[in-house]
Amino acid sequence: MTQSPGAGPALQPRPVPGPVPAWAFPAGDAGRIPSGPATLRCDLPGRRLAAVRLILKAGAGREPGGAEGVAALTAHALLEGTEPGGGTALTAAFERLGASLYASADLTALRIALDVPVTRLGPALELFSAVVRDPALADADVARLGRERLEEIAQEDADPGSRAMRELRAVMFPDESRASRPTGGSRASVEALGGADVRAFYGSVVPAEATAVVAGDLSGTDADAALTAALKGWGGAGAAALPSADTIPPSSAARIVVVDRPGSVQTYLSLGHGVPDRSHPDWPSLMVASHVLGGGLTSRLNAVLREDKGYTYGVRAGLLRLRHCGLFITQGAVHTEVTADAVADALTELRGVVSRGISDEEHGSSVRALADRAPAEYETARAVAAELADVSANGLGADYPSRYLEAVRSSTPDGVARAYREHIDPEALTIIAVGDAEQIREPLEKLGYATVTVAAAE
Amino acid sequence: MAEQPLHEHTLGNGLRVVVCEDHVVPLAAVNIWYGVGSRHERAGRTGLAHLFEHLMFQGSSNVAEGEHAALLESAGAAFNASTSFERTNYYETVPVSHLELALWLEADRMGTLPAALTQANLDNQRDVVKNERRQRYDNQPYGTAFERLCRLTFPAGHPYAHTPIGSMEDLDATTLEDCTDFFGTWYAPGNAVLSIVGDVDPEQAVKAVERYFGGLPTGPATPPARPGDLGPLGGVTAEDVDEDVPSPAYFAMFPLPSDGGGDIEAAELAVEILGGGSGSRLYDRMVRRDEIATEVWAGVTRLASGQSLAIVDAVGPDPAKIAEVLDEELGRFATEGPDADEAARATAQAERGFLEQTETVTGLANALSQNATQFGDPSRVFTAPGRAAAVTAGEIKDMAERWMAPGSRTALIYGGAS
Repeated sequence: MTQSPGAGPALQPRPVPGPVPAWAFPAGDAGRIPSGPATLRCDLPGRRLAAVRLILKAGAGREPGGAEGVAALTAHALLEGTEPGGGTALTAAFERLGASLYASADLTALRIALDVPVTRLGPALELFSAVVRDPALADADVARLGRERLEEIAQEDADPGSRAMRELRAVMFPDESRASRPTGGSRASVEALGGADVRAFYGSVVPAEATAVVAGDLSGTDADAALTAALKGWGGAGAAALPSADTIPPSSAARIVVVDRPGSVQTYLSLGHGVPDRSHPDWPSLMVASHVLGGGLTSRLNAVLREDKGYTYGVRAGLLRLRHCGLFITQGAVHTEVTADAVADALTELRGVVSRGISDEEHGSSVRALADRAPAEYETARAVAAELADVSANGLGADYPSRYLEAVRSSTPDGVARAYREHIDPEALTIIAVGDAEQIREPLEKLGYATVTVAAAE
Repeated sequence: MAEQPLHEHTLGNGLRVVVCEDHVVPLAAVNIWYGVGSRHERAGRTGLAHLFEHLMFQGSSNVAEGEHAALLESAGAAFNASTSFERTNYYETVPVSHLELALWLEADRMGTLPAALTQANLDNQRDVVKNERRQRYDNQPYGTAFERLCRLTFPAGHPYAHTPIGSMEDLDATTLEDCTDFFGTWYAPGNAVLSIVGDVDPEQAVKAVERYFGGLPTGPATPPARPGDLGPLGGVTAEDVDEDVPSPAYFAMFPLPSDGGGDIEAAELAVEILGGGSGSRLYDRMVRRDEIATEVWAGVTRLASGQSLAIVDAVGPDPAKIAEVLDEELGRFATEGPDADEAARATAQAERGFLEQTETVTGLANALSQNATQFGDPSRVFTAPGRAAAVTAGEIKDMAERWMAPGSRTALIYGGAS
């Protein structure tokens, strides 16, 4: 035992950790239900909560013209059950099994998620089957859910972070791109939707394009047979095919848009730039670059904006995953008074990767942070199933998570800096500032980075 | 994971250690609960426990400023801390190869934090915490509801009348000496529980804890805690909130029995049946049938040395109508109690909640620390589903009648956009 100087407590010298144990992303067994969905089965010993994810290629990106919001509304209406006006019957049936059912839609897919103790997977899949095959999607439920969506829009717009994200997409994507508008639809588009729209949309789903993932401790369960029984013979109503999703890329140019939120004590900042999608070989390097900039407490942005200056509770930089592209986004809330100073400091850091690259130490630390946290990130069946379902929805292949982790590990500091320089131009960032325009507009103009516009009031 | 036996050990300096093997993933979760939270703060220094939690990441004798986070981040660790009314917890889930490093980091700050405390660090983290307060509460619609409800529910000066984030004035007034005193009073091995869950050999893990923490001094006994009791509320105390929010809303708070006995199990099931999710009574009545609300939510915060708390909130154009229907439903429930199916459903959901809470090494380590700190028995975590299943419909009714009767709560009324 070594003694520290003075009368302090007896402490040990700092231990030197050995190598991190090997770990591999769980592999799934691929299959297909005859003329139905592709399947992925992932046996995870010890995981007593099973996860089922059914991914339908019916995201908001494939909504028929004018019906914006119908994908999200369909997802919510599915949870209302198989009988018109069934009320709590469906929820109660899942609750009795200790199960839960969720559904949601993003631009890429409509996702139905079932979580249940593995001991009751069989009966839960029977209920799940009824929901998928024969949902009521009744007029009265859809009308009510539409009103709930209108309320949700109001809540989202009042939240600085989600308001910033909405504006970032609206500014960066051209009007003809579905990504430029809210995934769940706008006030006007949702008000125009009814039960017939929802039923037509769901009727256009092609089961053979879907993927079903089941994960958990499946030993001793007949998960394969239960999943097959649940989805075999499920057929769409043969309605008109859904249009293809557009692949219009975002535009990157220097601009600052203030969304006025009078009286805000903070400004929510979001700085965005378009990048390629996840299938591009530079994606893993861009993930490393994002982590160096804003991945943790010691990242460059947090070292300055939080730990040095105290401007914020925290800033993060990361990549938003869309099917046809990605967005590099730096975001966080800063005290109103320091808004322009915080933008200036953020720009300095975002330019720094271009001008001085990244160090070996920063690179090594970020690679380890991204790759070595995977066992914890994918500890539950839910997390594994969601990731497998997501890569499937995006056409990346079930081996994508492993390939991605391998690519992160084999990246180099120079390669990461090169990828950043090639795909991200710090002089062409879209900067959204949700805050008190009266206080922040002039200081932002004085930065001289770009013209400042104030988003029109609604 | 399957339930594994627990290995418990107490060091000579009072540190309680709990170890649980779980070989599903090559990880080790380290979790420390210190028996101090906002309920232990004194008047004029609200927010100190939480501000101090931030300072615990600013270095100690042998750890430079920023180094704690740097070492853990570059190990792919998930790490953080949180402060609540009754405790402060610190946790990291690391590759099992880094278990000893994690223990060493925790021991260094448990033993030597004041060595690295500086005015500059305090000033910086004070600014960070003030921005945390703005971000999470002041700049969010309805963000201060919980804080306001606690202030309405408990008498002024009661240990639970203020929430852990504290007030801007008190944060501004906090001095370096306050922080050193706080550390000296509360941060000692005898006021902490350390849990380790993961791909470890229990005997080796206990030995490692002994090696890194064994040299820390015992520290003084902690001061006695002020009583946190409060009975059921008699009447409705409501406050109109003049805040620019997207829609009118009604928020209600009810004190409930303390955690630790059979009463809270029944009371929590009552809240679940009333307002937990889209299958609940309040959701069905207010959102689905009457369409007077677009959203209803209910939840319970369990507290062990004071009353637990239930919150029910509903967003809808007419808060007075919501309050009226809430009273009707509370009255019906207190009179009739749940039907057998409702009780069975709530029990099944409690089981899933238990599995969700304990299926990760991180979650299980936290639950072990909690049960050891608050009830002196870490293995109590595994009895949660059984405790819920043992509750009868009659007990649920009794708890609803006693604690959630119509006309006895505190409430906030939000009027909507200005």
